Amino acid sequence: MESLLWIIPVLPFIGFLINGIFGNKVPRSLSGIIASVAVLGGFIVSLLLFISLLGDENLSFTSKYFTWFHVGDLKLDMAFMVDRLTSVMLLVITGVGFLIHVYSIGYMHDDKDYSRFFAYLNLFVFFMLLLVMGSNYVLMFVGWEGVGLCSYLLIGFWFTNNNFNDAAKKAFIMNRIGDLGFLLGMFLIYQTFGSLNFDEVHSNAMTYAYGQPVLTTITLLLFVGAMGKSAQIPLFTWLPDAMAGPTPVSALIHAATMVTAGIYMIVRANVLFTLSVFTPEFIAVIGLLTALLAAFIGLKQNDIKKVLAYSTVSQLGFMFVALGVGAYTTALFHVVTHAFFKGLLFLCAGSVIHAMGGEQDIRKMGGLSAKLPVTHLTFLIGTLAIAGLPPFAGFFSKDEILVKVFASSPWMYGALALASVLTAIYMFRLYFVTFKGQFRGSHHQEEHLHESPPSMTFPLIVLAILSALGGFIGIPEIFHAPNLISEYLAPVTHFSSSYSARAVSHETEIILLVSTLLFLLVAIWFVYNKYVKRQAIPEPDEDIAGFGKTLAGKFYVDEIYTYLIEKPLNAISGLGYKFIETGLIKGVVDGTAQVVGALGLGIRTIQTGKTGTYLFAMVIALIAFMVIKFMI
Amino acid sequence: MNTLIAIAGIGIVAMIADILRIRKIIFPVAMAGLAIAAFTAVSDWNTNTRYFNDMMFFDNYAAAFSLLIVVIAIIWFVMAVPDLKTGNHYSDKSALVAFSLAGSVVMVSFSNLAMLFLGIEILSVSLYVLAASNKNNLLSNEAGFKYFIMGAFATGIFLFGVALIYGACGTFNLQEINAFVATNKSDLSGQMYTGVLLMIIGLSFKIAAAPFHFWAPDVYEGSPTTITAFMSTIVKVAAFGALYRLMAGCFSQINEWWTTVFIILSVVSMLVGNIMATRQSSFKRLLAFSSISHAGYMLLPLLTLSDLTGTSLLLYGAAYAFASIGIFSLVSVMSENDDESIDSLNGFAKSHPIKAILFSVLLLSLAGIPPLAGFMGKYYAFYAALKSGNTSIVLIAIISSLIGVYYYLQVIIAMYKPTGHTSASFRFTIYQNIVLWTCFLITLILGIFPQLIIGWL
Repeated sequence: MESLLWIIPVLPFIGFLINGIFGNKVPRSLSGIIASVAVLGGFIVSLLLFISLLGDENLSFTSKYFTWFHVGDLKLDMAFMVDRLTSVMLLVITGVGFLIHVYSIGYMHDDKDYSRFFAYLNLFVFFMLLLVMGSNYVLMFVGWEGVGLCSYLLIGFWFTNNNFNDAAKKAFIMNRIGDLGFLLGMFLIYQTFGSLNFDEVHSNAMTYAYGQPVLTTITLLLFVGAMGKSAQIPLFTWLPDAMAGPTPVSALIHAATMVTAGIYMIVRANVLFTLSVFTPEFIAVIGLLTALLAAFIGLKQNDIKKVLAYSTVSQLGFMFVALGVGAYTTALFHVVTHAFFKGLLFLCAGSVIHAMGGEQDIRKMGGLSAKLPVTHLTFLIGTLAIAGLPPFAGFFSKDEILVKVFASSPWMYGALALASVLTAIYMFRLYFVTFKGQFRGSHHQEEHLHESPPSMTFPLIVLAILSALGGFIGIPEIFHAPNLISEYLAPVTHFSSSYSARAVSHETEIILLVSTLLFLLVAIWFVYNKYVKRQAIPEPDEDIAGFGKTLAGKFYVDEIYTYLIEKPLNAISGLGYKFIETGLIKGVVDGTAQVVGALGLGIRTIQTGKTGTYLFAMVIALIAFMVIKFMI
Repeated sequence: MNTLIAIAGIGIVAMIADILRIRKIIFPVAMAGLAIAAFTAVSDWNTNTRYFNDMMFFDNYAAAFSLLIVVIAIIWFVMAVPDLKTGNHYSDKSALVAFSLAGSVVMVSFSNLAMLFLGIEILSVSLYVLAASNKNNLLSNEAGFKYFIMGAFATGIFLFGVALIYGACGTFNLQEINAFVATNKSDLSGQMYTGVLLMIIGLSFKIAAAPFHFWAPDVYEGSPTTITAFMSTIVKVAAFGALYRLMAGCFSQINEWWTTVFIILSVVSMLVGNIMATRQSSFKRLLAFSSISHAGYMLLPLLTLSDLTGTSLLLYGAAYAFASIGIFSLVSVMSENDDESIDSLNGFAKSHPIKAILFSVLLLSLAGIPPLAGFMGKYYAFYAALKSGNTSIVLIAIISSLIGVYYYLQVIIAMYKPTGHTSASFRFTIYQNIVLWTCFLITLILGIFPQLIIGWL
């Protein structure tokens, strides 16, 4: 099995090379197929790995290819490691990735840069696989940076639009802030443990006592990295802007895979986080605030993709709350189900946008259910799943998070339950406004309305099935059925689970479950009344007032950042330019150049071209050496 | 050892081919011969055999340096073959090159000072002729003549050093000299030290380290471009191999004494090479000065002898040689236009966009920009010097490599400037394309995986 590991990342890389080097010389029909098949190949191998890992608990595949770097005590291997955690991530990346590739064949078919798109998409998958397969922090960081780069390239895919470029830059810069944290965390890990390999670091860490300050520092720095990549407060504003990219990109990168890298990283390093004091609480609070803030903002957004983007931020917040209370496997469970239903929702949104000829404002949609039956039905399933209604996937994972949170802190449970009710509200608002009621677009758009081609509806259907049934891999304990995913992942968090084993009684769990459900149903009924019965349409931007205005303005976070960070920075750099750059540095640099130039002129006089002079100079030099060595 | 025989065989076949009028076979034979030489160098790995009553010793360093020299020679041959073919003396020139290569293999595998001297002479005498091989060009004649006179002068100094050492310890054999130095460490005579100094200076001439570099710019500029490429790569690597072998094999015990000599040579070379290079308008002359500065960097690992010395020399040598040969393939195209000025490159990027990128990468590698091979070479060289505690020298090295960035960038900028008054056309043959891509790939690979060389010895 070890011998197969390299195939998984190499296939998409080959796809990238073919589409990247030959570009538009590759027949259009072929580039999408090449890219999809490359990812499908990875999926098949991942499936084989997954199956062979089912047997032995502590089995993991490691394959070392060569020593990448050896300086002093630092030895880095180019090695892949696949354990149960990685294999779950592999299935999500290659599985959902494959479906989104297939979808893109239909979605992008009119774009002139077809092959460039698939090249980037394959490159992204390659880096994402590197991220989860690397056997040390450095390889993970290479993947981490790589997916950041691809995200930048794909957000700004339509680079002729300057707003899109700005969005790409914003995503890149915000990620860099997080990356700095990750990098510093890595340095500190190396300093503390003398290694960067997962095995060595984590087994070494297990010998540490709980609450060492250095562990808290390391984990806080790593979490800063996760904040950037997984869009948590305060580094979340890039994700909604990232919706500038083509919709499949939003589905793949900004919903299903890349943004969950932060969660993967924390689960991977769960030993460090479990042993840290303060960091887990901090993560939980940040996650909770993010979940609430994003859910509130989602209530008043009218761009179909923006709603989904804020919902992603909010769902990521849920996952971080789970991580914060030590429920690592639960967080990963939610990563998986979220990949299904959020991928699905984004792809549906893409299908809607496709049918509407590029329109993204839900106030100009409505009544699409008749014209887009497949999209409508799958979107409904996705909505039910994300809202957390049984028996859809989101119900199981979200319920598990809520129960775990309740066990650790009831007030956090309350706040998170509120966020989950808000989720149901904004998602059903989105669903009703888009698909029910009267069509509100232009006449031209109405004629143009059509269901998407099979290459787009096929992934929708597959993802809808997964969103509907995917939750059964993690059935709650009260139903006395095995919780497959948490059992599968148990060895990964073996050390951590011995630390925090707080559980709630079955009665409490049932009460929690039923009460959350009731709240959800009431909320949905309320939304139904407003948008279907009374046919309300979200008001135009200029009519929004009061708190709604603050929500629609996204709590003015971007504006606050502008005043708090951007303006002062610009002022400082302006001063720096004026005094340090033009005054000091330019003077020194120009001065040095002049000195070097003058010296050159001086030395040049010896280089006469006359052999006699040269010989004489050599003899003088020889004598000089003699004098230096023997006389002085 | 078989490496040496295979290379000498190429030379003999080349001469016979001239008599039998089958000059066409020279290139295939040379390629095959060099491939065999490379193969035998690899197969000599870990054999540690001594030949001819301990005149030569094929240890791993010898094998590694021989292999590097042979690989550079293969690429060099591919680049040079169109140029060698023009004119009447294809077979003579090829034979001379082969003998010169044989000399360089001797230089990195000697274990007797007499063999070292022979190696240097075999290498040099062939080169004197090759430098002047463009018979109708006055500059080429001048270059050959200058090289010969100054080379003879340097050889004299070197031989004087060998004689003094023989006088002091009564032997030419490296091991015996080493043993002699070790036992009499405290009361070595001035004769011995003078001998060491003179040998170092003799070899400094070959590696073109300042202040014994005066010949280099003139000879590099005047010689046919392919020969210049040979001198600045293979000769330099071989001379450094010899220098390292000599210092580590014989005089490692008195290392504090000669370290100061190397420090002076290194600092002066880096400063003179880099500062002078900024003032050049001819690309070829710029490369001559830059090669002087690289000699300065390559002296850094020699400041202390450790495990890292040999490997970092090897890595630096490889990084420098492959980037240089790739760049010389451009210079050889420029030579055909009879215009080697940097300005004549204006408009190059427009007419050859991909090549411009490749050449830029090679130039940046010479400048030491990560993640290219040149950076890794410098990194390990500086690291080795730092480990020996010569922090101030490393500071000078860093400052002078900053100056280096300036003039390498000047060339790149020239390539990306729009066409000026001259619109020279550049005609690349398939040979030059192969060389360029090979060098580019090696430069990239060595930059990302320096372990390929560092992990070796």
